[in-house]
Amino acid sequence: MTTDRESVDEAFEPYEPKRRVPLPVYWVAIALALWGALTLLRDSSADRTGAKQRIAEATTLERRQTATGSALFAERCATCHQADGTGVDGAIPPLAGSPFVGASPGVIVQILLHGIEGPISVNGSDFDGHMPAFGSVLDDDQLARLATSVRGTWGPGGSISPGFVATERARTAQRTSPWHGGDEIATTLDRTIGVQPAYLPAPRSPDDLTAQSIASIGKAGGWSCASCHGSHGEGRDGVPRLAGLSPDYIARQLLAFTDGSRPNDIMRPVAQQLTAADRVALGRLFASLATPSSSHPALEGDVARGAELALQGDDRRNLPSCFSCHGPSGFGVSPNIPSIAAQRPSYTAGRLAALARLTSRQPGSIMPAIAGRLSDADRRAVADYLATLPPSPATSSKDAR
Amino acid sequence: MNDRKQQPATDEGARDQIHGRVARTSIYALTGGVLLFVFAVLVRDEFHFRGQESAPPEASGPLSFTPPPMSKIPDGPAGTSIRHGMAIFENTGTEAKPFVGNQLACRSCHLDAGRKADSAPMWAAWVSYPQYRAKNKKMNTMEDRLNGCFSYSMNAQGSPSGGPPPKGDPIYADLEAYFHWLASNAPTGAKLKGAGFLKLKLPQSGYDRDRGRAVYAQHCASCHGDDGQGRTDINGRQVFPPLWGPRSYNWGAGMAQLNNAAGFIKANMPLGAGNTLTDQQAWDAAAWIDSQERPKDPRQKGTVAENVVAFHSGEKTFYGKTVDGHLLGSGTEVPVQASRR
Repeated sequence: MTTDRESVDEAFEPYEPKRRVPLPVYWVAIALALWGALTLLRDSSADRTGAKQRIAEATTLERRQTATGSALFAERCATCHQADGTGVDGAIPPLAGSPFVGASPGVIVQILLHGIEGPISVNGSDFDGHMPAFGSVLDDDQLARLATSVRGTWGPGGSISPGFVATERARTAQRTSPWHGGDEIATTLDRTIGVQPAYLPAPRSPDDLTAQSIASIGKAGGWSCASCHGSHGEGRDGVPRLAGLSPDYIARQLLAFTDGSRPNDIMRPVAQQLTAADRVALGRLFASLATPSSSHPALEGDVARGAELALQGDDRRNLPSCFSCHGPSGFGVSPNIPSIAAQRPSYTAGRLAALARLTSRQPGSIMPAIAGRLSDADRRAVADYLATLPPSPATSSKDAR
Repeated sequence: MNDRKQQPATDEGARDQIHGRVARTSIYALTGGVLLFVFAVLVRDEFHFRGQESAPPEASGPLSFTPPPMSKIPDGPAGTSIRHGMAIFENTGTEAKPFVGNQLACRSCHLDAGRKADSAPMWAAWVSYPQYRAKNKKMNTMEDRLNGCFSYSMNAQGSPSGGPPPKGDPIYADLEAYFHWLASNAPTGAKLKGAGFLKLKLPQSGYDRDRGRAVYAQHCASCHGDDGQGRTDINGRQVFPPLWGPRSYNWGAGMAQLNNAAGFIKANMPLGAGNTLTDQQAWDAAAWIDSQERPKDPRQKGTVAENVVAFHSGEKTFYGKTVDGHLLGSGTEVPVQASRR
């Protein structure tokens, strides 16, 4: 026992026999070190260009804030009213010679603030007017410059001050709907405009009450629309704005969630509770909401680049402009193509990224291919740009086609 | 003593030996490391950039051309004319209202405001006129050509004035100013890549309108509608053009010939996903679209059969053929102006 104890080396320390480190280990270590150094160098230069880009963007944003009235017109109005103010025959009223432009200055300011939904007659032609409200996307300064420019180019001229716009804004602050056509504008604001076609409100449907209830309190213990999309369909971070989407588009998407052709784990159980009549009624409800935009650029996207993509596309990357399919101002084309104006940027960018990942393509759907060609920066750019647009005009059920 | 002397000597030798080994190892390690790094960078570049490099331009093939960006339109009176030309091109039904008898605009077929290659871009057209055309058997100026566009593609017979803009109308000058500007720095008479429509060979199995119906339903109908009448936005503004019927191009238009339609479809449709349909699908879809009725050929004097001989011989078209008991070419009945919103 004692001998046994003695034979054990009490001071033994475990050790590894000394061997030379194999050369390949050095090689890899050195190569990795060089690679790391290179990456660090690249990153810092990317950081510098990133800073430069951000400064450039800040300048563009500032320029947007201080843009002249005519620049604002080119950016905000020309897609519909055209650069030369001629409008589009049968669809968009001209500005040249329009009694609304020629009326007292309050008229143009009120139209810009709240938009129009209803028939309007300009220079002898009747139009089914749907103009977006700019009250939530342009401030008093910008509206004053824009209104002054339009009246200077096509109207009696004169200057409209930001203070005047502020007064007009306060005067109709309680208003939650667009102006109901030329008739309401003429009778409420300025009778010199003359006789305008009468506005016929859409007939109410008994389903509308059901839709209201599903939207605000949900169906049979399920989630209400409002719990995620907001009480006015305004959406929130990552959750889409629904107000102003076309009624048919909403109904079709609800069906697509139900049958899984648009896979979405959150929407599927909610949509499965709905009947066909519910889907149609919900579509009508959200299409009729004139909710102001609460979207803002939030993804540090290059808004100027986003505008380029939305308005002109990029031939070098084989990207058609957004508006060539989503309509001249991004208001969508019923029934398949959604409005993208004033959409939440996080939702737009997320949806584009999700579309880009889709492998099994729905026939007739080209968005996966287009989204796949957008870089991450372009997705953020376009999402942020679309967030600066006025929301798609609300439509009443008589327009549901 | 011996031991003492030897010890340092061995130490020194061992140290030298060790130094030598360390130096050698460091050199090997460094050289190997650097080589490995260089190799890795090369491999990465090879894989990373291979896809991005474009093929070197062919020395003798058609030249590539890029029109100037819109922001480069000059100021002054020339710029005003160019801008107005572009406005006519994009908003034809309003800017040239007296001469337009359908719901199309120039840009409906000449995509991206006449800039897109393989959709008969205007920069390529500008440098190839005046040109002899078999269609009217004479030397055509650009104005003659545009007169034809209004007559056929814009169906001027259904317009308020009942015909194309008269000779010398400023509409021609402004459109030409726009084309001339688009062709800035393009060589005159040279073959430009992307000129005209894609020339698509007819596949062995020809074209078939029933196969085309299926292609159309799957790939075209979501934008152009099952009825081919296109779609409008909430303001009633035409976003997707009507492909047949009274509001589309008439039987005299180039697009009413299958080879042009098939080439256009192959290269450009569905919008944003050009070149995804097969040649066969493009021909078949063109056949479905072309085998529908549209406004009559304004050149027709006698019967459709006589007009086939006079103007459509040798064309690939459904004009003059009878489909489902209907003689195509008879024309559409609905007056265009009445159907406009």
